[in-house]
Amino acid sequence: MCLGIALASSEIPNELFARHALGHRVHERGGEPEVRFLYRDRHPRLPVWRDGRLQIARWGNAGRKSRFLPETGWTWQATIDQGYWKNLNPVMVDIPASLGLERGVWYRIRQGVRGLLVPDENRVAVVYMICEPSSHYYQIMTRSTRMPLLIEERI
Amino acid sequence: MTIKQGMKAIGHLDADCFYVSAERVRDGFLRGKPVGVLGNQGACVIAKSYEMKGAGVSTGMPIWDALVKCPEGVYVKRDFRWYEVLSRLMLEVAREVSPRVEYYSIDEFFFTVVEPRGGTFQGLADSIRDRVWERVGVPVTVGIARTRTLAKLISDAAKPFGALAVMDRGAEERLLSDRPVTEITGIAGRRAARLAPWGITTCLDLARADRRLVRSLLTASGEELWWELNGDPVRSVQARRPAHKALSRGGSFGESTSDPAVLHAWLVRNLERLIEELEYHGVSAGRLTIAIPYKSGQLGVGQVNLAVPSDRFDVLLDVARPALRKAWIPRATATHMHVIAEHLTSRSDCSGDLFEPPARGVRARAVAQLKREVNARHGRFALRSAATLALAPIYRDAANSHDICDVRGKSCF
Ligand SMILES: [Mg+2]
Repeated sequence: MCLGIALASSEIPNELFARHALGHRVHERGGEPEVRFLYRDRHPRLPVWRDGRLQIARWGNAGRKSRFLPETGWTWQATIDQGYWKNLNPVMVDIPASLGLERGVWYRIRQGVRGLLVPDENRVAVVYMICEPSSHYYQIMTRSTRMPLLIEERI
Repeated sequence: MTIKQGMKAIGHLDADCFYVSAERVRDGFLRGKPVGVLGNQGACVIAKSYEMKGAGVSTGMPIWDALVKCPEGVYVKRDFRWYEVLSRLMLEVAREVSPRVEYYSIDEFFFTVVEPRGGTFQGLADSIRDRVWERVGVPVTVGIARTRTLAKLISDAAKPFGALAVMDRGAEERLLSDRPVTEITGIAGRRAARLAPWGITTCLDLARADRRLVRSLLTASGEELWWELNGDPVRSVQARRPAHKALSRGGSFGESTSDPAVLHAWLVRNLERLIEELEYHGVSAGRLTIAIPYKSGQLGVGQVNLAVPSDRFDVLLDVARPALRKAWIPRATATHMHVIAEHLTSRSDCSGDLFEPPARGVRARAVAQLKREVNARHGRFALRSAATLALAPIYRDAANSHDICDVRGKSCF
């Protein structure tokens, strides 16, 4: 599964940089700064579009910050379709991304990835990345059997 | 008063890391970054940017090796529909400056040029490069010289985003003295090894060698190169592609396989693609060859001559199956397959098989017609042989229905 994304710094408003101390997540690639959001970060986060604004949300429930949310950062589209998240009042969100990271492969993402946003017991927003079974191409490229659900894109 | 006829020359235009440049035309994010375009269903790097090349990644490298060399690389999926669009736009520019353009490959053209009145060949080379850049957004390098072999060597030397016209012998020789003979198209390992004992290692060595010696070492085609290197154009620019001697379809599996059922499915897929091509060119195949490269380095080959040339699926599959059996090495892992049609004859020259029950032919023609009509309306491969079921994931990916070989009219491949 997708272990991280990168988003061109130019896509992120300055105000968010300061509020979420994103500075240490900035890396350069080809001379252009980008912000990397990795699941293995001490405080995993993902950018999400919510109510027409870009926000930074907690990515999944690593380290069991919540007692009842699943301890993962991903969910299958099929699991959502089967209604497993229904009681948590989930909101579908878009996770903007310029690149995805899977087993060391950075691959281009044109718009982003679909996500599911739910509140934990303290009403803190937690986002899960939605995945689906890998396409043939994705599986050969990354050797992974699941891929993120990309927004209006098939690879 | 006499009007001086403008001097004639040959131009060579070659896009710089074409697939990557094509991706950058529609995606500014990729500019300046190390970029690799993946082919073979995602298994290999088929094109890399200069940044990625600088990190040690070469064309054809498996992605897993490329990741080690260039962990910061950005990978994108190949899209030959888009590359063909840009290729044809570049071709249009070339046709504006030349009455005679050869569509050599998807990103390389040869063309004839005349020295512009009041201008120079160098100015012309610059303007062609700039016009492609402004109009199409793809960086290209243009070489202009007295022959096509020289023009190509010059554009190779001037990369990237270069433009260079070399018309006098002194400048030609300086250029040739720097280049190893292997940079000449058509002189690879074995031919270069034949030249080495004679002290012929650079292009200039070859140009200065005795013509008869070159002919004895490299046959008539080598002698042609000798003339070309010495500024005598003997290889012309072919505005129209000569008729095919052979047509073939195939390529890498992406995922290697030793499963005979999967090999059979690839045979049928490649055969259906080959038949589309036979139909497009209006020819029938008199001989069919199945070639299968294996991971071990072995090559399996099966070849069958047809009693009567054909372009029919049922007939060709009947001969392709035993050819596949011959090319098959049990338990060995196959990586590629090529299905090659030779002894091509124009369909109108084919008399048909007089020993076949007529009803069979009528039925096969009707099925072929139906297949064409359904696929014309609903998309390529919408109706196909059920023997391809083992390859469902390949058909599900739309990128696989338009490949480099589907870009028609190129004289090389
Ligand atoms: Mg090129």
